[in-house]
Amino acid sequence: MSIAVPHGTPALATTSPVPPEPAPAPVNYLNVSHTIWSWLFTVDHKRIGLLYLGSISVFFIIGGIFAALVRMNLMSPNGAILTEDAYNRAFTAHGVMMLFFFLIPAVPGVMGNFFIPLMIGAKDLAFPKLNLASWYVFMIGAAFSGWAVLVGGIDTGWTLYPPYSSRSSQSNILPGVMGVFISGFSSIMTGLNIMVTIHKMRAPGMTWGRLPLFVWSLYGTSLIQLLATPVVAVTLLLLMVEKAAGIGIFDPTIGGDPILFQHMFWFYSHPAVYIMILPGMGVVSEILTCFSRKNIFGYHAVAWSSMGIAVVGFLLWAHHMFVAGISFYAALLFSLLSMLVAVPSAIKVFNWTATLYRGSITFHAPMILALGFLVLFVVGGLTGLFLATLGTDIHLHDTYFVVAHFHFVMVGGMVIAYMAGLHFWWPKMTGRMYSDWWSRVAAIIMIVGFFLTFVPQFIMGYHGAPRRYPNYPQEFQIYNVLSTAGSSVLGLGYLLPGIYLPLSLFFGKKATANPWSATGLEWITPSPPTVHNFDATPVVVCGPYEYAIGVDQMGRGLPEPPGPGGSDGPTGPSGPMKKETEVVG
Amino acid sequence: MTSMSLLPFIPERASTLADQFEVLFWYITITTGVVGLGVYAALAYFCVVYRRGATTGSTPRILGSTRLELGWTIIPLFVFLSYFAGGLMVYNHAAHAPADSEEIFVIGKQWMWKAQYPDGQRVIIGGNPRNMTEEERKSIGKLVLKVNKPVKLTLISEDVIHDFGVPAFRSKIDVLPGRYTSVWYQPTKLGEYHIYCDQYCGTWHSLMVGKIAVVKEEEYSDILAGFTPMPGSHTPMDGSRAQQGQQLFLKLQCINCHSATPTAKAPVLEGLYGSRVPMAGGGAEIADDHYIAESIRRPRLKQVEGWEKIMPAYDESQVSAEEMNLLVAYIRSLKKGGTPKNNQQAVPPVGAPTGPSEGTKSPAPGGK
Repeated sequence: MSIAVPHGTPALATTSPVPPEPAPAPVNYLNVSHTIWSWLFTVDHKRIGLLYLGSISVFFIIGGIFAALVRMNLMSPNGAILTEDAYNRAFTAHGVMMLFFFLIPAVPGVMGNFFIPLMIGAKDLAFPKLNLASWYVFMIGAAFSGWAVLVGGIDTGWTLYPPYSSRSSQSNILPGVMGVFISGFSSIMTGLNIMVTIHKMRAPGMTWGRLPLFVWSLYGTSLIQLLATPVVAVTLLLLMVEKAAGIGIFDPTIGGDPILFQHMFWFYSHPAVYIMILPGMGVVSEILTCFSRKNIFGYHAVAWSSMGIAVVGFLLWAHHMFVAGISFYAALLFSLLSMLVAVPSAIKVFNWTATLYRGSITFHAPMILALGFLVLFVVGGLTGLFLATLGTDIHLHDTYFVVAHFHFVMVGGMVIAYMAGLHFWWPKMTGRMYSDWWSRVAAIIMIVGFFLTFVPQFIMGYHGAPRRYPNYPQEFQIYNVLSTAGSSVLGLGYLLPGIYLPLSLFFGKKATANPWSATGLEWITPSPPTVHNFDATPVVVCGPYEYAIGVDQMGRGLPEPPGPGGSDGPTGPSGPMKKETEVVG
Repeated sequence: MTSMSLLPFIPERASTLADQFEVLFWYITITTGVVGLGVYAALAYFCVVYRRGATTGSTPRILGSTRLELGWTIIPLFVFLSYFAGGLMVYNHAAHAPADSEEIFVIGKQWMWKAQYPDGQRVIIGGNPRNMTEEERKSIGKLVLKVNKPVKLTLISEDVIHDFGVPAFRSKIDVLPGRYTSVWYQPTKLGEYHIYCDQYCGTWHSLMVGKIAVVKEEEYSDILAGFTPMPGSHTPMDGSRAQQGQQLFLKLQCINCHSATPTAKAPVLEGLYGSRVPMAGGGAEIADDHYIAESIRRPRLKQVEGWEKIMPAYDESQVSAEEMNLLVAYIRSLKKGGTPKNNQQAVPPVGAPTGPSEGTKSPAPGGK
């Protein structure tokens, strides 16, 4: 595999200024058939993407309800509404639902399935039936785990540390673990499918160096899904064997080693963090370029940093275990390696920021959310350094500092990026525009609510407040009350898209093929796309972000971008058709 | 409402580690803060100056800059490595106890903490009263430490994983079943501080909390003398841990085989602690706390060169975690020629606070 030069000056001679708006196709992937079976047995990657969208939205709501229960209970130092057992089950349910059934499948399952073929100019994923199977496997897993956390519950925390989980806990562990085990196969199938698709099904001219960065980020994600998920499957299987058959693997009273579980668990679960965040980074790269009308700053740096994160991410699992009783030298090594993974993330942040330089920026909901991602991810990433550093991790480990840190990355980063992607691609997926005003308001509420919820948790954590405590010392109460108040703002922020997005399906303005005037191949088909995506296989002539020149990846002019005036005219690309590359730095 | 007052800006610092932590914490906070605010400033500036309304709509084609890329790759790397180096220094301080540290054993169980002092005093230092017997409830005390004296805790769990965290000392260590871990502090300030269980351990995890009291050295022994006995023991001052361990060693008939006589059926334990033990089939093990405890729990796991695998295993029902600590303390203390005679009445070591108690122990010499 070689990386071709990404940004050769496009073949402008063959360029027509602006292609006519493709007529909305009378038959698209949504209205081609209407029966329930046509959805349940579909092999269309777009429909499967929507199946994922529907199911993860439900799991997000379930996980969110448990989060609300946890936060409400913490209003009082002795638990406002729940018993200790109920609280323990609530935070476990929140973690299991959000991590395994929302965050991990969110972007790969919904946007990966829907947009990878569209973005590389393919008719479908490489294995359409495997794709459908992945959704069914996911739903079977979700049924097991959902049943386990809703009926009876699990009280171990999502980390499932033995010997508590294997010996001591009397809760619903076996079905819950079985569900996570099963859904892991879905993750492997999706990763495999996306990886093969990217390798084998790119349109003519879509070289590796012309791939949109979203595709690069999902490539890195798929690599992790493929290589790390089997390890958690093995781990969970061993846990079930110990629990069900009493064979000593992790429980020291029957000859096992509890630290072994932690090594195996984090060997998956740390890279899994990158399964969650990498796709979000890809989404943000698409949006920042589009709404600032700029080429991405440092395409190769951003693409390769995704791969760097994917690879180095495998080498630092034990930074979750600095105080778990591992050796001094192991801790030293894993701290050092953890510092290395911070570098590619820093590279991305600097490149995204530099992309805005001398842009022409508009602030629609996707852009506000992408900027929100950047703002929140900076905090999430930088606070991670405190936890990778040995001397500070000793104190901060297992406190609210950790909780705030990973929520900044997972929610402030990933969920906001998911929301950004959803708002960016919603017109393409549904053919409808949502309320511009309400979506901007919701985006701002989400970001502000997020800060209000989690900043107090940093302060508590710095003072040593342990996580997973329904009873806590009085002195932390004010911070918990502030955090709970903030979470209600955050909840409102999430509620609003839950209202205006569905409403847009019925009352929204019809979307044009390319409402944001973006360059990717997904925007050359009508909205919503036809069943087979493209009437003719697109031929790619240039890199993904030629906003400065104003051409899409086929070298054709872009329609007028939305937003206030200041452009060159009502039609035609926003810039001159030929433009010298400027050198900065 | 007083309960709603804010916490101090910097949490209370009560150990040498806490001071080191704060220096490192604020070094990272200030450097990352400068970078983060720099990024925010750039974002805000770009968003205002380059908003659509303020531009012609035409943008330059800028693809990147190798020099900038190199700069913002290499500079952050060195900054991060400086965090690593600082963290290593603090961790090194936290991980290695001074040789003159007094040693206290701490046992975690669902859901309480128990401590055993070198001179044999035992005290419950926290936990959920609802999980305790009436006697235990009455004897909840504090982990009393001397100010400005290093103290090492050796910790083990009787059931699941716990974590012994003391925020005022900026210290934390997981407490594992079947394996010793250790941590040390040098308290620098008189006062009372929280102990939290920081590793989730079940229903009453959040009530597995206790108190540390740092006192002046002259008050220390008075407070220790006042600790009430553990249930089942009527004398709080049975003698040192090692001496109690010797009594167990006799009671459990260990002496029958580990007799250090020419006819002994098991290895000599004198001077064992810290030595290299050759294993059957090659290799060697360092005889540390974990090795000793493991050899009692699961003696068949590792066979000492030249000896048969004949020792029975002692599980938790025969040797509790507390008793294990006593045995370990005793075997650590065993010096050349120190193995008691099989028919010898256990005598307290010189300087032990009281003689051996009658009622509870001292097996009939010679076994059954």
